[in-house]
Parts: sequence; structure tokens; C-alpha cells
Amino acid sequence: MIEQLEKRTTFDVFTRIKRGDNLVHIGTIDAETAELAKVYAAYTYDEEDWVEMCVVERNQLNWVKKPKGLFAGKGA
Amino acid sequence: MAEQTAGLQSFIELIETIADNKYVMGDRLVEVGVSGPNLEATLAAIAMAQGELGHARLLYNWSFDLKELKKKPDIESQTGKAFPAIVNVNNWIALIASLYAANVAIDLVLRAVLDSGQSKAASRIQKLINEQNEHLIYSENWARQLLNDKGAIPSKFKEALSEAVSQAEAWLKYVEQQTELAEAGYIAKNLSLQQAFKSQIDQLNVQTLVSTK
Repeated sequence: MIEQLEKRTTFDVFTRIKRGDNLVHIGTIDAETAELAKVYAAYTYDEEDWVEMCVVERNQLNWVKKPKGLFAGKGA
Repeated sequence: MAEQTAGLQSFIELIETIADNKYVMGDRLVEVGVSGPNLEATLAAIAMAQGELGHARLLYNWSFDLKELKKKPDIESQTGKAFPAIVNVNNWIALIASLYAANVAIDLVLRAVLDSGQSKAASRIQKLINEQNEHLIYSENWARQLLNDKGAIPSKFKEALSEAVSQAEAWLKYVEQQTELAEAGYIAKNLSLQQAFKSQIDQLNVQTLVSTK
């Protein structure tokens, strides 16, 4: 199962509590497939009765702007 | 207690078999799932355990209603109809194999009950079938991972899956042979449960299931 752990990717989890609310980033999930990411997200973030929930693979995000690391200059 | 027809007796037995398997799966998901290979898989296993135990309670209560019991007894153990492959689960590989085979078989049977058009059945099991879908996705994805893993894992998994599949298949064959179920309108007519089960298991692309006999 070590083989599979190496293949895990990070998914960002977004939810909307009620219709008309903002879609909010509530956390992340590490999963082996997108299907498993959906199941893991549903079971892990079950504190609300969300009207919407979606997972997005981190490397599918197209960044427009990103903050630099606080210690970027020091090679951190 | 009212006199039960052959169809009703078979239907109660069917519901109890599903409830027993879900009851034991819930227990095994807690016992074995708690030591899953990663945090997310473990959390999901525990959440699914709660789901399976809830489904079992709903189905046991349905069987009590069908038996027209005035006082519903406490559920302290299964009635002895759970598949041995599930009862004997003691590691992650056997857990996924049993969970997958049993959930595929149970899903087919419950959908056949739903397709019979009984209005009472729909109100009782529609939500259960929707919730079970996540259990199916989970076990199928983990089954694929174990089949594509390294070392002895794929062969161990095939061995466990073979045993679980043969027991689930034998049950589906038995259900198909209970013609009184369809005649009394408890499940849809002209079912080919075994065929549907085989084609769903084949989607895993398991080259050769290891014979356990």
C-alpha cells in the first residue's frame, strides 16, 4: 500500500451551506482518485448539511496571483 | 402474528440476509477499518460503519413489521445469514474484497425490490440505496488500487475477492430460484441477478480469480 500512498494527490474542498451563499473553501483532502476524493470529502466534512460540495484537484487550479512565501528570499 | 405466505416468508428471509450482512459489515468496518492505510480511508470506513449499522437497523425493523411483531426486539446479534467471508474479515484486503462483493450483490437485490413497484419498499429503501452508492464507489476504488498494487497484495486481494464473490453469487442464485418472491410482487420479475453481478465484477478487470477450493 506504500505504492498507493505515493500516488495520492491533494484536492481542495469547496462547499455552499445554503442556496445563495458563497462557495467557501473549507479544507483539503488527499486521495488516490477523484472518486475517492468525493467520498472522503463527504465523510470528513459532514459538520453541515451542505447544499453543494465539490472537490478540485490542486494542480488543476490556474493561479492568477499567489502570495510569495514569507521567507522566500532566504530560500525557504 | 398473522399467517405468512411463502412469498412473505422468503421476503423476510431476504431482508434479514441483507440486514445481517450490513450488521456484520458495520462491525468489521470499525474493527478493521480503524487501522486503514491512511487517515481519509479510516475516517470514511468509520463513517460507513455507522451507515451500514443504520441500514441494518432499518432493515431489521422492516422485517419485524412484516412479521407483525407487537414489540420490536432489541438487535443484539445477526440472525446467522451473513456471508462467512464477511464474518471472517480480519484485515484490510479481506475487508475491501468482502465489502465490494457484498455491496454489489445487495445493491442489485435492493434495486430489484425497488423495481417491483411496492410503494412501501420505495419509502423504506430509496434513501438507503442512495447512501449505499458511496460505499460502492469507495470499495470499488479501493479494489482497483489493491489490484494494481505491488508485491503479494494483488494476489492476496484476488484470493479474498474470489471467496467473497462466490458466496455472493451463490446467494444471488438462491434469490433467483425463490420464484415466490416475484410471484408475490416483492421483487421485479425476470431477473438475471447473477448475470448483472458477473458483469459488474468483470468491470474490475480481474484477470483470473484465484480458486479457493
